[in-house]
Amino acid sequence: MNRLNHLPTLRINPSEKRSLTYRGKSYWGFAGDTVATALFANGVRVFGRSLKYHRPRGLYSLDGECSNTCMQVDGIPNVRTENTPLKEGMRVKGQNVKGSAQFDWMGFMDKLDWLMPAGFYYRTMHKPAAVWPIAMKQVRKAAGLGTLSPDFEMKGLFDEIYPTADICVIGGGVAGMRAALAAAESGLRIILLEARPHLGGCFDYRVSPYNDDKKLYERARELADQVRQKDNIRVFTHTSMVGAYNNNLITAFQVGKEQDEFDERYIEIRAVSVVVATGCIERPLLFEHNEKPGVMQVGCAHRLAHTYGLLPGEQAVFSVGHDLGLEAAVDLFDLGLKIPCVADIRKDGQDPRLLMALVERRIPLLNGWVAAKVHGGKQVKKVTLTTVEGTVRRMIPCDLLVASAGLTPVNGPLTLAHAKLVYDSHTGYFLPTDLPEKMFAAGRMTGRNHPLSIEASGRLAGLQAAASYGVNNKTALAEAETALSGLPGPERGCKLVTAPVKGRKTFICFDEDTTVKNIKQAIDMGFDVPELIKRFTSAGTGPGQGGIPGHNLPLYVAQYTASTTPPKPTTVRPPLVPTFLATYAGTNHDMCKRTPVHDAQVKAGGIFRRIGVWQRARYFSGDFDCREDILNVRNNVGLLDASTLGKFRIHGPEALKALQRVYVSDMSKIKEGRIKYSAMCNDDGCVIDDGVVVKTGENDYYFTTSTGRACVTVEWIRYHTRFDGWDFHLVNLTDAMGVVNISGPNARKVLEKVADADVSNVAFPFAGYREFTVKGLIPVRAMRLGFVGELSYELHIPSSWMPAIWDILEEAGREFGIRNFGVEAQNVLRMEKGHIILGQESEQRTNLLDLGLGFLWDRTKNEAKTVGAVALRQAEADPGRLTLVGIQMEDNARAPKDGSIIVDDRVRGYVCTARKSFTTGEAVGMALVESQLSDIGARLDIFEDECNGRLLYARVVSMPFYDPEGQRMKI
Amino acid sequence: MALTLTCPVCGKRNGYEFRYGGEDKGPRPAEKGLTPRSWCDYVHMNKCVAGIQKEWWYHKDGCGSWFTTHRDTVRNLEVNEPEAPK
Ligand SMILES: [Zn+2]
Repeated sequence: MNRLNHLPTLRINPSEKRSLTYRGKSYWGFAGDTVATALFANGVRVFGRSLKYHRPRGLYSLDGECSNTCMQVDGIPNVRTENTPLKEGMRVKGQNVKGSAQFDWMGFMDKLDWLMPAGFYYRTMHKPAAVWPIAMKQVRKAAGLGTLSPDFEMKGLFDEIYPTADICVIGGGVAGMRAALAAAESGLRIILLEARPHLGGCFDYRVSPYNDDKKLYERARELADQVRQKDNIRVFTHTSMVGAYNNNLITAFQVGKEQDEFDERYIEIRAVSVVVATGCIERPLLFEHNEKPGVMQVGCAHRLAHTYGLLPGEQAVFSVGHDLGLEAAVDLFDLGLKIPCVADIRKDGQDPRLLMALVERRIPLLNGWVAAKVHGGKQVKKVTLTTVEGTVRRMIPCDLLVASAGLTPVNGPLTLAHAKLVYDSHTGYFLPTDLPEKMFAAGRMTGRNHPLSIEASGRLAGLQAAASYGVNNKTALAEAETALSGLPGPERGCKLVTAPVKGRKTFICFDEDTTVKNIKQAIDMGFDVPELIKRFTSAGTGPGQGGIPGHNLPLYVAQYTASTTPPKPTTVRPPLVPTFLATYAGTNHDMCKRTPVHDAQVKAGGIFRRIGVWQRARYFSGDFDCREDILNVRNNVGLLDASTLGKFRIHGPEALKALQRVYVSDMSKIKEGRIKYSAMCNDDGCVIDDGVVVKTGENDYYFTTSTGRACVTVEWIRYHTRFDGWDFHLVNLTDAMGVVNISGPNARKVLEKVADADVSNVAFPFAGYREFTVKGLIPVRAMRLGFVGELSYELHIPSSWMPAIWDILEEAGREFGIRNFGVEAQNVLRMEKGHIILGQESEQRTNLLDLGLGFLWDRTKNEAKTVGAVALRQAEADPGRLTLVGIQMEDNARAPKDGSIIVDDRVRGYVCTARKSFTTGEAVGMALVESQLSDIGARLDIFEDECNGRLLYARVVSMPFYDPEGQRMKI
Repeated sequence: MALTLTCPVCGKRNGYEFRYGGEDKGPRPAEKGLTPRSWCDYVHMNKCVAGIQKEWWYHKDGCGSWFTTHRDTVRNLEVNEPEAPK
């Protein structure tokens, strides 16, 4: 098909070809084409088949208001090809067809419409219930839009940005551009959103005069240039606004251009003020076969020619209700379209200049006439016109019917912002009565049609938005108000709801194949509210999100029910236009932290697991039981990276008061050079954290928390002291400090080789805290702990020194056979000692007493108002709690899985951690059980996942399982 | 997600940056004389005002301050007006 390459309004570049494949053939389009316009240029007229009746569907609106041109593109179903830019090499397939869109074997469905009245599925498919699974399979085969392969993987980059704007203007037509320019005068930061790939709105493709020396499209491009030259206006084209929330938060989706690095991106705009200038779409004309290929809206026909250089047909009848229709007829006639006749629903009120232009071109105009029916198989061949009263009929051959009842504002954004829409009997539009705070509407959506009125309303709204932001622009505002009041106001709109037809094949919603007859059926069954009729008939619930039936449905319901109250619009919800789930999901933001000695552990063969925000070495060999690593710690010396521990400094005159508030122990008893182990509870007495505290100076403390609590400890302490105004400071040193744990009977031999201090048992005993240097340089805070139950030093070192000290210790330990151990080995080692890990030996309801840690709690410090103390006092008397016990399996061959439940006739507790101990040779663990089962020797029945009823048995035994006297950590 | 809050240190920020800290119920009561019921009420019972409520927020992705502000729980907007009398 030859393009009209000479048109100055074109948005395609005829020198840049783009190829696509469809039905096994290669086709050409141009840069700037949409997938649908490129197919149209290659002769494709039937793009797909409808959901229920498999009716052929073609180009209708070009703005994606219906699913007519939804196709499968590069494996993605339901792509709205009419507003998807053509990219090189796209693979396009029809959908919902057996055979092809042109010859669909399911086409006979169209003859069966009488079988499927409104609410067919709801009313038919529920009894008997057994039929449904079978019926569903058949329905699924025949209906549905597109198929998705289960192993389909969405390719592409889906980005997101969160810009802030002083004013967000939605709609890049002339009203929106004038609003943006007006608001930008005062230096505010403006964001301008336009759904199409270019600015200009409904001026962009029109060649009617704007004034004596400019045409409309020239004016639009002039304004677009002015917008682009403003540094404080950020323009997002091909960006559909999809959501509006309170506080003027606007969300939108941008489709990437060929040169963009993203395929789509989510945009969340925090705006102070908003201008909505989304213009109008056309209100579909209701008549028999109103969606047959060859029927298209005025703007679609007009834009096909002027934007894409495609004459929409050869011989066209127009059936319109708006001056834009007459303008398009005149204009397309001049481009070579034969027009036997134009039917105008209106009997009067047309622009006299357009009437004159039609006369000059000898195009007959029928006032008060409308299309009643189109004829033809898959495409339009003839049209029957009738007077709006249905008294006279006339049939005219044509291959194109340009049909439109009038305009309807795109007021979805206003609805989302909770503006109340009321039917306006002058324009026939649903117009907002009260706009939300700092939101303004402008342009064609307010009912104005005159180009100068549209512009002036845009400028006024821009200035109003600036004023609402806080700009003092009273003079400009007054001038803009005066200018607008001197221009033509909202125009009378065409009120015809439907051509005089019965409506069996008059489609009020294309996506869901809902006819006017279906609506009548629903009303006859007793439905009277459009919102409910919408649900019962599915009208407006398809991919077009109500773009086609949104306006006609309430009008039709009001007319058919002869309602005396004005029509009420149905609601809309975000997203206003269909959007990929991939865009909502965005890119994968999984970020994790690595410890300063991550690389050294990789080299040592570490197998890493994600633990909280960290990557931690869990194993150091393929033996996930960690036998060698465990025995090496018990008999020799091992090295563990414990850098993920939370580490904090708290200092200031009232630091101790804060510690007293959050720790259950009496923190005033911390001795110099000694560590204090304690725990934090929440207000219910449940344990949330444990760790050690040391005093590093006057009013200066250093403490550790568990890995998972590192990110919330500052928040916690400040929360629980928020009323007190105490003078203390908290510093989170978690990432600033690393921790090495060197454990095993030979640990001292290693450390004394490198430490510049006496680390003998006398000089640095168990539970001691020392500060010294290693190799005369590296500052170390050392604690003697016993978590794994052996002689053990925990060295806290500035992170930047961590790789160095790791190397030094490995070097010093080489002669003893030092080796790394990971989190799993540590887990077993500490379990053998009966030392708990919070989250493993506790869940959110486990309190301090349940864990046998009541000895940590100091009951005398009432004045401190310790968090959890009140609840603990109450829990002491509560017999119905779980207790942590040691268990030994009757069969030592194997331990139950962590988390297995303990049962009799009901659940009595669960296994926290259980392992086969290499040290003792027994299968042991810890469990939380009801207190009645906690006595030594009690037999526990353990129900393991997938055990098929074969229980495991254990006995309650005393803890610890290893070195009960605790000698080994004190040597 | 549309909420913004005004941190006394950092100014008006996106609501994503904050964590809710509950209704303002005043300082912790003294432990002496507390019944299980009165303690439980202080910790767990909320007024759940449909309207303007004084509440605590933590600027977690910012300065790390706890502060109180007034929010209209119906419109989910921070407001300058005080709590409605009950
Ligand atoms: Zn802050």
